Amino acid sequence: MKLFVKSTLFYLLASLIVFTVGGIVTYKQVKKEVARETDYYLNETFRRLVGEIKSGKSVGVLNNDKVKIELLDKTMVKDTFRVYSDTISKHPLLNRPEAYRRLIRISKVNGQFYKFDLMDVLIESDDVYEGVTAAFVKLFVFLGLFIIAANTIFFRWILSPFYQSLQQIMFFNVKNKDAIHLPETNTREFKLLNAFIFKMTHNARRDYLTLKEFTENASHEMQTPVAIAQGKLELLMESGDLDQDQLQLVQGATQALSKLSKIGKSLTLLSKIENGEFSDTRVSNFSEVVAQNIAHFRELALLRNVEMNSSLPGTLELPIDSALADILVSNLIKNAIQHNLNGGWIKIALDEKKLSVSNSGLAPNIPTDQLFNRFKKGQQVSSSLGLGLAIAKKIADINNWQIHYDYAQETHTIEVLFN
Amino acid sequence: MKILIIEDELDLLENLCTYLGKGGFLCEKSSSIQDALDKLSNFTYDIVLLDIMLPDGSGFEVLNFLKDKQPETGVLIISAKNALDDKITGLELGADDYMTKPFHLPELNARLKAIYRRRKFQGQKEIEFEKIRINTETMETRVGDELVVLTLKEYELLLFFIANKKRVLTKQSIAEHLWGDNVDFLDSFDFVYQHIKNLRKKLTSAGTPDYIKTIYGMGYKFTTD
Repeated sequence: MKLFVKSTLFYLLASLIVFTVGGIVTYKQVKKEVARETDYYLNETFRRLVGEIKSGKSVGVLNNDKVKIELLDKTMVKDTFRVYSDTISKHPLLNRPEAYRRLIRISKVNGQFYKFDLMDVLIESDDVYEGVTAAFVKLFVFLGLFIIAANTIFFRWILSPFYQSLQQIMFFNVKNKDAIHLPETNTREFKLLNAFIFKMTHNARRDYLTLKEFTENASHEMQTPVAIAQGKLELLMESGDLDQDQLQLVQGATQALSKLSKIGKSLTLLSKIENGEFSDTRVSNFSEVVAQNIAHFRELALLRNVEMNSSLPGTLELPIDSALADILVSNLIKNAIQHNLNGGWIKIALDEKKLSVSNSGLAPNIPTDQLFNRFKKGQQVSSSLGLGLAIAKKIADINNWQIHYDYAQETHTIEVLFN
Repeated sequence: MKILIIEDELDLLENLCTYLGKGGFLCEKSSSIQDALDKLSNFTYDIVLLDIMLPDGSGFEVLNFLKDKQPETGVLIISAKNALDDKITGLELGADDYMTKPFHLPELNARLKAIYRRRKFQGQKEIEFEKIRINTETMETRVGDELVVLTLKEYELLLFFIANKKRVLTKQSIAEHLWGDNVDFLDSFDFVYQHIKNLRKKLTSAGTPDYIKTIYGMGYKFTTD
């Protein structure tokens, strides 16, 4: 739910509560005030009547449907204080029962005792209720409209730097060359937020560059000493006065160096893929990439007595960086050749849904899904770096493709599902 | 053949000079761009061996200079960066070849000779070794007058041997020469033997002595000894 809708609803709910409570309080207050005013009026009427009796008006003239004055036997009574009560009586004009307020008092006027029984119509609770409700509903509607309007202005104006920053973050990419551009604002919180965003994106970009530089340097710094050592060993071989055993030692060292160099290159490649440095997603003809790799590896497979069969469509275009497509396919085929049996087979099938590479081979001695982990090998093949499938998985991951490894009936199958 | 090696790692520079010197190359060394440009302004070289990352700048500067002033000089880039971009830039700027560190010295030797052949002997496309004559244009191999039919791999293997005659070639360097970097995943390089065996058979049956000497467990040497 949008922040605007949420806050508007929240304010409306809050004002609804306030208006409900306010309405009840107002209703009670008005009712109380009305009763007090009526009592005051009855008392005033009483005083006026006393005055009129004092000035000699006869009681009979003063009596009407709201006023009843009785002359009392003077020995029987004494003055009483005001007694107010609510009663219901028939309204003379409306001709229906209405709520009345009544004042009964006995008072001594000109030496004689009179009983005053005065009544006045009360304003009804229903009327008060209706009045208050109508007023509050109108007010609430007005306030609601006002809240929406005010909130709109608030969001457009006060929160606009926030939304601009949000927009910038959404389009932020560590690979961007330029720093993130955040709007100017004089709101303290947004200033803090922008300062934080700026710092974080700056750090992220810097770390990305450092990492990128590191992977490049690591490769450079490592390959050069390897090249030096390898060159020295080759010079040693050339020197001519080494015996058989010594030459084999040199040979062993050369192979280990070569492996070290390959590990370095593979790890560098992995972090380059992770860093998204291969982001050319122009469509590649995947079918052609597979065909080229099959052609390239066919001879090497045959030299190991492995037969390679394939079924490929003429063209299959997929949005993947062509360098990555090549690495993915060559790693899968290399893996199939490497972990094969002498006289074994490889089947490569490609369609618009998936690439599947199966080969004959011994059962792996670890669960197949672990074979995608770095330096995990199903068979201890000494020449294997244990990185080929990790690289293949990484390539599948960054393209949002699924990759599965299955072993059943002496057949290894790796499937890459394109989405 | 006179070559200038521009490389800031002195140990590597030394290795290269020693190895190439034994093969009859005249080596000059340089470890910075400034020094290299000085040397290139005063002397001419057949081939420049160029490292891309140098302390005082990029090797591409040297490449631009050569293209401008001495276009007849061959250039082989050696870089630690396995970056495709660098390779493309280098070749576009006119480099003849590009190698990634680490490399086998016999491979470097063979590639330098190939560049030299292309650059210097434009009329003459024949390589001779004793009775063997190879025409690099038609890719025909003859022993005396007799045509020896070789497969592409056998032909490449023979060229590699002749470029590195009298030198020890490991199975690994032969394998990488023939199949590129992609052979590292195989357990052994015994499959190289298949091609060696076939080549040996074809040459000897054409009447040459057996030039290919096996160095047990290690590799081969192409020699008349």
